[in-house]
Amino acid sequence: MSFVLEPTADPESVIVRIGKALDFRNAAEFKTVCQERVRTGARNFILDFSETGILDSTGLGSIFSLYRQVSPLNGQVVFASVSRPVQVVVQLTRTYKVFRQFPSVEAALEALS
Amino acid sequence: MDSVTRHFQDLDTLIEQVHALFDTWESEDYLPASMNVAMLYQLKIAVHEWLANLVQHANFENETTDVRLTVEPVEERIYCVIEDNSDGFVLDMHLEIEPEYLDSLPERGMGLLILKICTEDLLYQRSEFGENNRLEFYVSADQDQDAWLDTPF
Repeated sequence: MSFVLEPTADPESVIVRIGKALDFRNAAEFKTVCQERVRTGARNFILDFSETGILDSTGLGSIFSLYRQVSPLNGQVVFASVSRPVQVVVQLTRTYKVFRQFPSVEAALEALS
Repeated sequence: MDSVTRHFQDLDTLIEQVHALFDTWESEDYLPASMNVAMLYQLKIAVHEWLANLVQHANFENETTDVRLTVEPVEERIYCVIEDNSDGFVLDMHLEIEPEYLDSLPERGMGLLILKICTEDLLYQRSEFGENNRLEFYVSADQDQDAWLDTPF
């Protein structure tokens, strides 16, 4: 359940393809790979949830951790292509108040540029 | 859909097996007519959070793991029971935790809150001898989502 991180034309922005799940099984890995990218200059993270069927409390906690890390650096964490199961979690937890959502990765990239 | 019970004995694959079961029910249109998509996802979230709790924190020492999941439509609601043979948890205190006691944007501690708010009539009974701990709850279309987790976020 590894994540795919893709660079963008903007060196401060990174696309993270979340894949099938972000939960207690891989949340630590998510934190580690994202923290490493922050250390090397990334500030904006676009999380692509198009293939994601599971987002649990631990996965959400790891996203909060990333948000706390990049916010003081004027960075952003945004959601893109949010799947229906993830949308239910976002609605239930009101996290749409914290993370902007975009219909596609491309729309997110344009908004962040 | 009638009452369905499944046994699981491998903690390492428990989450994958249960999600595969839900996926099969969804793809084969096995779910009751009263269950809309939102209810299905709430049920999945609630079951996942509890199983994650078992996988991460339960002590099945000296026991062959036995986790039983029962799902049953009851009128307009879905009744769910998750039984296990771990040592169980002292859970009452945790289920009383209110959102205002959580830090803003917490990294841990949201699982039981999410379970609590996704469900109705949530009840956990820990067996005195650890042979049968039982979590039961209902999921309904009328879940009061206004009561959700505003404070931590």
